Amino acid sequence: MARAGLSVVLLERGEFPGAKNIFGGVLYRKQLEDIVPEFWKEKGFPMERHIVEQRIWMMGKESVVTFGHRNEAYKQPYNCFTGLRVKFDQWFADKAVQAGAIPVYQTVATDVIREGSRVVGVKTDRADGDLYANVVVIADGVNSLLGKALGIHKEWRPDEVSLAVKEVIALPKEKIEDRFNLEGDEGVTIEFMGETTLGMAGMGFLYTNKETLSLGVGVMVDQLREKKVKPYALLEAAKQHPMIRKLIQGGETLEYSGHLIPEGGYHSIPPLSGDGWCVVGDAAQLVNFVHREGTNLAMTSGRFAGEAIVEAKGRGDYSRASLQSYDRKIRSSFIEADLKKYKGMHQLLKEQDPELLFDKLPHALNEAAYQLFLVDGLSKAQKQKTAIKLIKDAAGGTVNLLKLGYKGWRAMNG
Amino acid sequence: MLHLIVCIKQVPDSREIRIDPVNNTLIRQGVPSIVNFYDLHGLEEALRIKDEHGARVTVVTMGPPPAEKALKECISLGADEAVLVTDRKFAGADTLATSYVIAKTIRKVEEVWGPADIVFCGKQTLDGDTGQVGPGIACRLDLEQLTYVGKVVRVDPSSRKVTVHRFLEDGIEVVESSMPVLITALKELNKVRRAPLPGMIRAARYKPYIWTTEDFPDLDASKIGLKGSPTIVSKTWVPEVRKINGQAVGGESEREIAGALVEQLWKPVCRKNSGGHREGRESACLREEKLNRPPIGPITAACW
Amino acid sequence: MSESISDKLFTIRYKCDDVSHLIIKERDSCLKCAKKDCNYFCPSDVYEWDKKQKLTTVAFENCIECGTCRIACPYDNIEWVYPKGGYGITYKYG
Repeated sequence: MARAGLSVVLLERGEFPGAKNIFGGVLYRKQLEDIVPEFWKEKGFPMERHIVEQRIWMMGKESVVTFGHRNEAYKQPYNCFTGLRVKFDQWFADKAVQAGAIPVYQTVATDVIREGSRVVGVKTDRADGDLYANVVVIADGVNSLLGKALGIHKEWRPDEVSLAVKEVIALPKEKIEDRFNLEGDEGVTIEFMGETTLGMAGMGFLYTNKETLSLGVGVMVDQLREKKVKPYALLEAAKQHPMIRKLIQGGETLEYSGHLIPEGGYHSIPPLSGDGWCVVGDAAQLVNFVHREGTNLAMTSGRFAGEAIVEAKGRGDYSRASLQSYDRKIRSSFIEADLKKYKGMHQLLKEQDPELLFDKLPHALNEAAYQLFLVDGLSKAQKQKTAIKLIKDAAGGTVNLLKLGYKGWRAMNG
Repeated sequence: MLHLIVCIKQVPDSREIRIDPVNNTLIRQGVPSIVNFYDLHGLEEALRIKDEHGARVTVVTMGPPPAEKALKECISLGADEAVLVTDRKFAGADTLATSYVIAKTIRKVEEVWGPADIVFCGKQTLDGDTGQVGPGIACRLDLEQLTYVGKVVRVDPSSRKVTVHRFLEDGIEVVESSMPVLITALKELNKVRRAPLPGMIRAARYKPYIWTTEDFPDLDASKIGLKGSPTIVSKTWVPEVRKINGQAVGGESEREIAGALVEQLWKPVCRKNSGGHREGRESACLREEKLNRPPIGPITAACW
Repeated sequence: MSESISDKLFTIRYKCDDVSHLIIKERDSCLKCAKKDCNYFCPSDVYEWDKKQKLTTVAFENCIECGTCRIACPYDNIEWVYPKGGYGITYKYG
């Protein structure tokens, strides 16, 4: 918007952009490139490591079944990379400031100002704090108090959000490279599920940064509440798991953090625009939790909103009808397609006993793998039978397993 | 209209400073920079005078280019103009060289925006802690100086008089001075305001004046930067943690705990508890020498 | 490498306001509440039931501003706003 010559104010409640922000740690090249072309060539771009390998771990009590893919082809150009928000957000916000946006930090937008059905600005927590504008882009994150003030979404339910806690753990560069089998700026991501969430619906992650690791665990808030587990105890337990313990050994915790993740998916997306406003990113529940993608949906939705507003400015019309072009851009993009694909997922996770998906099955899988690879005199045919039986039993019989498989397929391809 | 000049410095936030255990130097990396908070109290007082009498407030600082951010903060609070004096040649300055350059800067500010009536400085900086720059400037500019000011009682533009309270170790000194005068500010001076939104927006757009050595043709090169700084840091070290004979007091109720605490505090009786004009400086007396007087009650007789 | 929660919170920079941005709406609701869920789900131990005083204490200075309590309090009893601009937590890494 600033590039197009519009007058833009960038409101941020923290000391600087990124001061209050955390995420798991993976950023995607494509979506950022659409906003800042060839950003990776820039000196001072705050990349941690570009990702050459992604692993998915199913955790047993002291075991893991792993699925992963490493490919040199992810290097040219990078597919995705790890980052730390405090550095990245400042870099990103400076792009906006360089383009002419007016940075106003340490200021909370507390409410929207309305004239009839039109949004004409925001109230802030400063003296003489009313700020008027043709369009307000609501980008106040998962808690989106502005979205609530506007009435576009009610409070999230505890089964629509996850709480993730994270630590940044310092480890020498060489140790990271050795432990994860890396050269130079290469990096690895690991997502893990099973034992580490104590039967709750959730996932953990371990990402490599330059000289730190990002380790986190997230679980659905309703289940966390039910289990009466301290979120940080969950993280501590994950750190003790032998598969993780050995990777982080000797590291020093530099920072602890926590954040909610909107997991409602497609059905939780509120109206995206109206007279004088658009809503983007987490505030609009635009998170693909199956693929841990949030930041790129946020950046892309922000770009779409910006484009739509520039077009609206050209027409001199900031009405709902005019700003609908933002909705259309979202609907015809990967954002809507991806969220739609997994639209049944949330329901599936709600209906299924979380114990089954996040406890019994991962454990059965580990046990099956253990039996399969154990040489103890039993015939291979018997072993295969045992392994299959273990998994079937975990699901409560063949029929249930098939049902689950079918439901899972539907949820992922709705 | 009064012209008030406020001298500030951008310093690392002392709450975040760690000391490198190997080199005994300050680890400045990752430590946020803030406006030295004593300076902010000076600015706030200037702004209060501006609110009451109308005044022009000009902020000056010497430092590297990022100090621009500190000046913008002052603009957001309500300062009219801000000047950054920056040049590699100024680097490495001690208090002597700094006060020389700041004094020159103030002279130049006066040429541009009119003669100064009051110059505000902080009592000291959070990083240097010397408290010498303010008096140094006053001396070079031949200004009256009022150090350790905890309260400005009155500013009278017509009689050109200023009355302040100086908070000294043994009491408060009420002093009147004529303008132009230099005041060094304590944190007791006032509560710093929160910038209003229009101030934030003005600050975001504001570009401070940037002056380099070239803007000061009559500068004596031997008096600036490292060359002009006779101070030598011969050694730095981390002081050993002194053993303090701490004692925990306890009790069943708040009243009992408070009683026990007061009893302990009362033991080292405050010597200067009579005839004082301590006005709100209660904590200082706790440091006074012990007189080995036996604890005496009741609480109401205590020196605070 | 196992740290207590106070060690963890010590890694975050805080600038505390003198008034709480978290407010318990009705003390009675906490009295009625049998499970005291907030004592567990909060990632920075803001809430603690004080048996003697019979009220939930709010250590708002610890708050990492995640919003869980607002959503998960079974009695919807927590008034939750952001700390004043510039106050509260500041991450160093994020």
